[in-house]
Amino acid sequence: MSEELVRMEHIKKFFGRVQALNDVTLSIRKNEIVGLLGDNGAGKSTLIKILSGALRATSGDIYIHGEKVDFRNPTDAIAHGIETIYQDSALVPQLSIARNLCLGREPIKGPRLLDRLDHSELSRVASKLLKQVGITKEIPATTPISALSGGERQAVAIARAMYFESELIVLDEPTNNLGVDETRGVLQFVRNARDSGHSCIFIAHNIYHVFQVVDRIVVLRRGKKVADDVDPKSTTIDAVERLITGMAL
Amino acid sequence: MRLLQKIFSSAEFGPLILLIGEIVVFTTLSPAFLSAGNISNLLAFTPELGMITLGMTLLMIAGEFDLSVGSVFGFAPVLMWTCYNTHFTSLFVGFLIAMGVAALIGFANGWLVTRLKIPSFLVTLGMLLVVRGTALYLTSGFPQRTWSATSFLTNAIAGEFPVGELRIYTSLLWFVGLAILSGYVLTETKTGNWIQASGGNPEAARARGVRVNRTKIMLFVLTAIISAYAGITSSIRVFAANPNSGTSYELEVIAMVVIGGTALSGGRGSIIGTVIGVLILRVMRNGIVLIGVPGLAYNIFIGAIILGMMALHSWLERRHYAR
Repeated sequence: MSEELVRMEHIKKFFGRVQALNDVTLSIRKNEIVGLLGDNGAGKSTLIKILSGALRATSGDIYIHGEKVDFRNPTDAIAHGIETIYQDSALVPQLSIARNLCLGREPIKGPRLLDRLDHSELSRVASKLLKQVGITKEIPATTPISALSGGERQAVAIARAMYFESELIVLDEPTNNLGVDETRGVLQFVRNARDSGHSCIFIAHNIYHVFQVVDRIVVLRRGKKVADDVDPKSTTIDAVERLITGMAL
Repeated sequence: MRLLQKIFSSAEFGPLILLIGEIVVFTTLSPAFLSAGNISNLLAFTPELGMITLGMTLLMIAGEFDLSVGSVFGFAPVLMWTCYNTHFTSLFVGFLIAMGVAALIGFANGWLVTRLKIPSFLVTLGMLLVVRGTALYLTSGFPQRTWSATSFLTNAIAGEFPVGELRIYTSLLWFVGLAILSGYVLTETKTGNWIQASGGNPEAARARGVRVNRTKIMLFVLTAIISAYAGITSSIRVFAANPNSGTSYELEVIAMVVIGGTALSGGRGSIIGTVIGVLILRVMRNGIVLIGVPGLAYNIFIGAIILGMMALHSWLERRHYAR
């Protein structure tokens, strides 16, 4: 079994008097894709927001490589190698692919005072990352994000996580509103990310998509973890659906 | 072929065609339009508003705008010349004080917008009234004289020199230099990338470590400093620092920037587009007077140009997304 990368321990979250998460413990190992499933209101988004620094847990701890960390905001999480990709991909639509990929860590050439972007390095990085993530279509690095399809935007967001050397990429509903071909592409991008040494948490309502790509399934129901270590190769979609809804087997 | 397609679909193409059209029409209707005297006139005032548009472009691309530029344009020279005329300081120190106060005004705008999350429309509208009111109070509404102080500083800011038959002010050189510098910053630097990201998707930019608030505050300060400098330039050129000067410039400046293709919503725009926007409105103002249209009708033309350009930009954008 590979080394543990992230561990969320005894996470509880209250919104006023409503308990969204009840003592959830989740561990992610290196180079694995974990499917996080649950019905609406199960607590998936809350758990992920805590992991990405967008929310703070009422109680509980997060460990990365065994070391306790405290995320006050998303920037803290990114600095610790956790990148969350939401449905809107959190990209800047007006900027080019290359400028989005390197935003916040732009390559500079010449004297620092001139603050000059290294355009050739930007293009080189962009085409390398797009290939790595599995985009085979010839898309110039200068193309603005607004001109890309939904699937291509997800790919750019994954490529950006790679550029920032994120160890864990969290994908929140990455296949929502995508066509069949684009969904297939995004699932391949996720596999490629794992093959390049990244771990992923994959959240999707569509269990068929989850089954195609993950190594392990974790199920939440009404804020509690009800299943862990479910191997998609040795279970059925029906069985997982019962876990999600709580219906008796 | 691809280059031509790129030129045709660029946001600057429509405004450029309009500018060329204006020049052709005015040249045809009035032989005086291309005379040395008229071009000199046109180039005398253009840099003053033009410089402010450069700061405003960067600020609008970052997703904010500043309605106090006209009042800072009026207030800064009043402050500088009051310091000098009352023998409080030398002219140069007065200049530094005016620029410093302008920087503080810009900082206050930026701080209120980014830290207290008050929309820039409200903050800068309030600042417009505070600054204009201060200028009027300081001077009791009377202009400050500026003709008694010809120095290296005044020559450097707005000195006059001949180029052939043309009379050119040094302010034109400052405007061209500032335009090149702003264009460089916007397209070639990391700061430019941060400016565009701050306006395009501030939350995404923040998550990448972009200092969105600091970038916006810096741009508010820059815009205020440029407005103050433009006001001082104007006061030297017309030999008076009028506390009312710059009234309603804010709208003209924003119109120039928007006509040049900068999005009011932020994230998109260019310096070259803004320079074309400046020339469109200045040529229009100059040309309609020359061909005998009453000056009071000026706003009709400006409004029509803004509406036409907005329709064109919207059409180009929809066509771009439809591809």
